[in-house]
Amino acid sequence: MSRRAPIAYPRRLILLLAALGVFVLALVWRAVDLQVMNRDFLQGQGDARHLRALALPAHRGMITDRGGEPLAISTPVDSVWANPKELMLEREGWRPLARLLGMDAADLRDRILQRADREFVYLKRRVDPELAQRVMALEIPGISLQREYRRYYPLGEVTAHLVGVTNVDDAGQEGMELAYDNWLRGTSGSKWVLKDRLGHVVENVAGIKEPDPGKDLTLSIDNRIQYLAYRELKAAVQLHHAHSGSAVVLDVATGEVLAMVNQPSYNPNNREGMRGDLLRNRAITDLFEPGSTVKPFTVAAALETGKYRPGTYIDTAPGYYKIGRHLVRDASNYGYIDLTTVIEKSSNVGVSKLALAIEPAQMWKMFSGVGFGQPTGGNFPGEVTGLLADYRGWKEIERATLSFGYGLSVTPLQLCLAYTVLGDEGRLKPVSFVPVEGSVGSREIMSGRTATEIIRMMETVVSEQGTANLAKVAGYRVAGKTGTVQKLGADGYSDQHYVSVFAGLAPASNPRLAMVVVVNDPRGDEYYGGLVAAPVFSRVMTGALRMLGVLPDELPRQWRADASRAGQAASRGKEPSVSTVAESHARPVLAGDQGVM
Amino acid sequence: MIARLLSRGQRALRGEDSPGTDMGLLYAVAIALGFGLVMMASASFGVAERELGQSSYYLTHQLVYIGVSVLAGYLVFSTLSLEFLERHSGMLLIAAFALLILVLIPGVGREVNGSTRWLSLGVARVQPSEFAKLFTIIYLAGYLVRRGDEVRSAVRGFLKPMAVLAVMGVLLLAEPDFGAFAVLMGTAMGMMLLGGVRLWQFGALLVFGLLALAVLAISSPYRMARITAFLNPWADPFASGFQLTQALIAFGRGEWFGVGLGGSIQKLFYLPEAHTDFLFAVIAEELGLAGSLAVIALFTYIVVKGFMIARRAEAAGRPFAAYLASGLGLWFGLQAYTNIAVNMGLLPTKGLTLPLMSYGGSSMLAACMAMGLLLRIDLESRRVLQRHVGGVLR
Repeated sequence: MSRRAPIAYPRRLILLLAALGVFVLALVWRAVDLQVMNRDFLQGQGDARHLRALALPAHRGMITDRGGEPLAISTPVDSVWANPKELMLEREGWRPLARLLGMDAADLRDRILQRADREFVYLKRRVDPELAQRVMALEIPGISLQREYRRYYPLGEVTAHLVGVTNVDDAGQEGMELAYDNWLRGTSGSKWVLKDRLGHVVENVAGIKEPDPGKDLTLSIDNRIQYLAYRELKAAVQLHHAHSGSAVVLDVATGEVLAMVNQPSYNPNNREGMRGDLLRNRAITDLFEPGSTVKPFTVAAALETGKYRPGTYIDTAPGYYKIGRHLVRDASNYGYIDLTTVIEKSSNVGVSKLALAIEPAQMWKMFSGVGFGQPTGGNFPGEVTGLLADYRGWKEIERATLSFGYGLSVTPLQLCLAYTVLGDEGRLKPVSFVPVEGSVGSREIMSGRTATEIIRMMETVVSEQGTANLAKVAGYRVAGKTGTVQKLGADGYSDQHYVSVFAGLAPASNPRLAMVVVVNDPRGDEYYGGLVAAPVFSRVMTGALRMLGVLPDELPRQWRADASRAGQAASRGKEPSVSTVAESHARPVLAGDQGVM
Repeated sequence: MIARLLSRGQRALRGEDSPGTDMGLLYAVAIALGFGLVMMASASFGVAERELGQSSYYLTHQLVYIGVSVLAGYLVFSTLSLEFLERHSGMLLIAAFALLILVLIPGVGREVNGSTRWLSLGVARVQPSEFAKLFTIIYLAGYLVRRGDEVRSAVRGFLKPMAVLAVMGVLLLAEPDFGAFAVLMGTAMGMMLLGGVRLWQFGALLVFGLLALAVLAISSPYRMARITAFLNPWADPFASGFQLTQALIAFGRGEWFGVGLGGSIQKLFYLPEAHTDFLFAVIAEELGLAGSLAVIALFTYIVVKGFMIARRAEAAGRPFAAYLASGLGLWFGLQAYTNIAVNMGLLPTKGLTLPLMSYGGSSMLAACMAMGLLLRIDLESRRVLQRHVGGVLR
């Protein structure tokens, strides 16, 4: 080895190599430390950065009427969203994007620029899937779709108030959509995905939780009656230039709501330019004084005492009745009449005298028993219970005015429910917006005999002599009561503004349906309940009874005979002279003119 | 001419007119290049697609760089005699200075991410510091031979090259390129140590360095805090610690055998510079601890080969070649280890590539030339030894 030069500084070389070796060992130790010892912490940090739970939207349940006709259905749509960070790099694409989405290019730019440091912004929610595909075909980086469901209401404004609407996040906002939100709403599923730093899904990770779709909801509504009621109410409100209106049809036996409509309504499928007042389901939110339509209950309270019979006579002469310094008036002097005629003619004096003759508690029991001032049990969101003051504070004049429907306030639905009590032999059942199965728990408010007697009395209202001949339904006997209520304004009761009401039952021999029509503030020539509200009742009932296959209880020969007796020729007298109807409408003008309520 | 060069090189590689080539080193370099290319491609596809709209951009460019660099390394190996290199090592130092000054001239140097490290040469950009490192190592090897006695006996012999290095250090820090500075200083110190510098001088320099660090820490705690921020990247993972925490997460995700080739999540825009300075983290994530240790072992093998070649040159009585081989091995090792240490959060320096693997033409060219030089040194040593031992190949 002498020919080979020795290592000049062997120890220094060893030192240097040792230093490098230590460096390498440090690297190996650190690699083991990071990749084995600390990996849980590091992977946790990594997951916090890339692992994201994606929501999988659940399909919201369908709402149908009792026959299975869809009233609200969810259809798949796509929401277009963008990652502004990425979109910022691709400004050429903004213009065609805005054009496709129908947005203003400047709006789109603002939207993106305002959120330039974010990673998510909706550009347009709920667009047609076909349009969404065209947006994706532009191949603009940073644009993504998100599957969502849009609520569609096939009957539109006809069922708008009843069915309600959902908000942009598919949660119930109004009506049945809100009341049964938990039932209709599904549980969103989720899946875990790895995302790159720009938000793209790189891969699906295990643990996909499928969305649990919401359940379908069947309402008690009959879409045919609903539609008919809506059409007729709308026509009446337009014809009489009224401010608003409501109509409710209830199944007497079950308390099911078969139709509930309001005017004005709105199109739930396009809520642009929505006004809050259009959203109101007036049938359950708007209170009015029911006026003469409560008279049957005053009479019922009297009958229940056992001291009165339908044939009991009351002296209503001279057409007014002085209570303290107040004066209760009839439209004309009916004289000495029986209770049936009191109802037929709608005598304020008659019912006032009855009211003062019975105990206040008896009247209160009847009124609150049929549901005035009480919840209807339908649990419709936003329902109001109205006002019925406690009888212990009633003064005489208050007892009198209550007997003809002033001094308490009810909703159209409450009034309709009260009439089902008359129709169902004195039993009260809760209102239901969904089909009722089996027997319903009911409460007896009055005897079946009283109820039947009241119905017989009310049938006279829908006769040529009564106040609501226009409520007649061909082939069926109808019992009902009109109301023409003066509206309470800032200066007391107005003789300019009225609420026209008709409440009735059909067929009268064995009531199947109860219906209330309320037309608020008709500004045309007519405002009597018998002229404004009763025709709506007639048309809707005519259709509804036939749709439901209810057997006619008035044979054609009979009503033909009635017609001939009324001096009208071959056909049924559909056009009564206005004077016969109008004259009987009591205007509860109170001579004392103030301090009634 | 080129044909003659090629045939000569082929014969050399086959060992026909020479005692042979260090095939182990050659294979190691080839593996590093091939493996590095695959990993670099994997790490760069997403970024290239997004930033350049062409996912294979970095792959195709790196392929060209590797082609050019391998050819350059081959030419160095086959044509460049060490005698010639030793004679002109002074010129190389001047060239290194020229490059480093040029890059600092406004308008000539190109600034990227706050550092002026690039010269624009029309089609390609050149990073002078990569070549400055190589040239300075060659110069130092020459100096240690020319002034060997002076280095070993006089303070002046130690201080002169240190002054030269200091000036070069200032130029590097002016870019700033602290990584190149650290690697060059470490390499130079190692070479001086092997060149016989007195230990007390060496020790004094170390103490001076530590003192300087202490002064920095006391006088400017803010700057010190920035340098030592790497010690606890989780304190501020979304600002100063962002890149490092993302790299560490890649290591943690890798576990024993990695998430699989191409499966890295961190390279998807979480980890900046995944295909250049932080390629090792992507390797660790995709191939796990097994991959990281294999890469460390590969570089260690090349470093050991460098020192073995140096030993052979020393045995062959060729001190310039020996110093040069040690210097190259040391440089290669320090650069690779430092890069890996930075990836793992052991060292603060940034801006160092992983030799033979990271994306980049200049560093690839410099590394391949260095490997060519090592093989050339080996070739020449073997020739001498073969002559001495009469054809018996050890």
